[in-house]
Amino acid sequence: MGLRDVLFGKKKLSEPKSDRLFALATAAVTLDTELGLKPAGVGAIAFKPQSSGEFRSAFDEVDQLVDAVAQQFGSKVERKSDEYGYDWIIVRDPELEDLVASAHTLASELTAKGFGSLLLAAIFRFDGYEHPVYFIYGFKRGAWWPFVPAGDSKRDNAKELELKSQLERELPIEQDLTRWLALFDAPV
Amino acid sequence: MKRRAYGRDAGLTLRMLLTTGLLGLLYVIFAVVLFQVLNVGLVPMLLIVVGLAFFQYYTSDKLALAAAGAKVVSREEAPALHDMVERLCAMADLPKPKVAIMDTPMPNAFATGRSPKHAAVCVTTGLWDRLEPKEVEGVLAHELSHVANRDVLVMTLASFFATLAALLTRFGIYGGIFSGGGNNRDNNNGPPVWLIVLVVSILVYFLSYILIRTISRYREYAADRGSALITGTPEYLMSALQKISSQMTLIPNRDLREVEGLSAFFIVSPRVKSALGELFMDHPPIEKRLAALAQIAREMGRPVA
Repeated sequence: MGLRDVLFGKKKLSEPKSDRLFALATAAVTLDTELGLKPAGVGAIAFKPQSSGEFRSAFDEVDQLVDAVAQQFGSKVERKSDEYGYDWIIVRDPELEDLVASAHTLASELTAKGFGSLLLAAIFRFDGYEHPVYFIYGFKRGAWWPFVPAGDSKRDNAKELELKSQLERELPIEQDLTRWLALFDAPV
Repeated sequence: MKRRAYGRDAGLTLRMLLTTGLLGLLYVIFAVVLFQVLNVGLVPMLLIVVGLAFFQYYTSDKLALAAAGAKVVSREEAPALHDMVERLCAMADLPKPKVAIMDTPMPNAFATGRSPKHAAVCVTTGLWDRLEPKEVEGVLAHELSHVANRDVLVMTLASFFATLAALLTRFGIYGGIFSGGGNNRDNNNGPPVWLIVLVVSILVYFLSYILIRTISRYREYAADRGSALITGTPEYLMSALQKISSQMTLIPNRDLREVEGLSAFFIVSPRVKSALGELFMDHPPIEKRLAALAQIAREMGRPVA
C-alpha cells in the first residue's frame, strides 16, 4: 500500500495470482518419491460470494464452465457453503493435474469477470502420513503452504515446517508464517 | 476486466484532505508561534512529546489491550474466532494479528497496533454472543481495515501536536502561577509570555481536538468501506452496527466509563451521545454510516471497463 492509500484509508483487495498453482503438479513427483505423499484425488477452491446480483449472474457462467471442464476431465464436482459464509467448489479426480487445472480455470474465469479478488484459497489433499497433509494455495500471495491438522483444531507445526524445508526448491512457499492460514473444516 | 473500487467516495477523500491540511496548517502556525515567543525550553519539551509519542506508538498494541483488560487468546481457546480472523486476513492480504477477547457484555470490538505486523484485534464476549457469525465477520473486517489503513499511525501523528499543546497548557498554567511568568527578556511591554503560550495552546488544543475527531470519523467510513470490500456483504456489517448501537444503550454505564479512553478504537463509540453533536464525536452517527454502507452495497459489483 502506497502513502496515498494510507493517508486516505484506501485499502484495496489485491488481484489473484493464479499462475503458480501449477507448481504443485510439478512438485507432486518429489512428494511421492521422496516424502511418500500421494494425492488423495480431491481438491477445493474457496471464495467469498458477494451478495450483489451482478456477482450471481457472473458466477452462474463460471459455474457452468466448471461443469464443462469437469465433464471433459471426467471429474466430479460438488458445491458447499460453510458457516463462515465462504463457498467451496470441490473437485474429485484421481489425476492431480486435472484438479490443479480445474482450480486454475475457475480462478482465471472469476478473474476475467472482475471478481478475482474474492478468491480465498485452493486446497489439495495428500495422504501417506498419520494425518492427512494439505497444500494450500493463497491467491493473494501466489504462494503455497502446508497444513497438517492434528485433530481438535490443532496443527502439527513441526511436520509443516519439515515439509516447508523439504519442498522449498520445488514449490513457491509462503515465507511469512503468520500467513499460513488454517482451513480446519475444509470439505476435502 | 478491471472493476472499479466500489465505495470510492471522492467527497470523502476531499474532506479528508481538507481536514488533514487544516490540521497541518494549525500545527505549523503553532510551531511558528512557539519558536517566536518561547525560544527557551522548547527543545526539552519537544523531546518529552516526541518520546511520549514514540512510546505510545511502539506499545500501542499492548497498551490498548492492557487498558481495555483484554486477554490475548490462543487458537485452542477460541478456534472459531481464529478461523474467522485468518480467513479475513487471507482475503485482505494481511499477516495474522494477535487475537484478543475482552470479557464484557457490551458488544464491541477494536483493533490496535502500529503496523499490520504488530497488530491486535479484540472482540468483546458480548459481541461474540449476541451477533450472528456473519455479523461478527463484518465487524472483524472493519477492524482489519483499520489495521490495513494504518489508523494507529495516522492518529498518533495527528494527535502529536495536540498532546504538545495540552502539555504546554499545563506548563503555562503552572508557570504563570508559580513564577509569575517573568523570565523572558522582552517582558516589559505586552502581555507576559506564559499568557500568550497558554492562550495559543488552548486554542490549538481546542481546534486540533475537533480536527482529530473529524479525521477519526472519516477513518471510520473508510474502514466500513474496507469491510464491505473484504466480506463482499455490507448488509451484515449494517445489521451488526444496528445491533451494537441499540444494545449499547441498554447496558449500564459502568462498562462505558471503563473503556472511555479507548473510545476512538472501537467499532461503535462507547460514549453516550454528546449534546454538542457530531463535531465532538470520534465516530459518525450510526444512521450516516448505514447510509454510506447502503450506497456501497448499491455500487458493488458494477463493472467499469
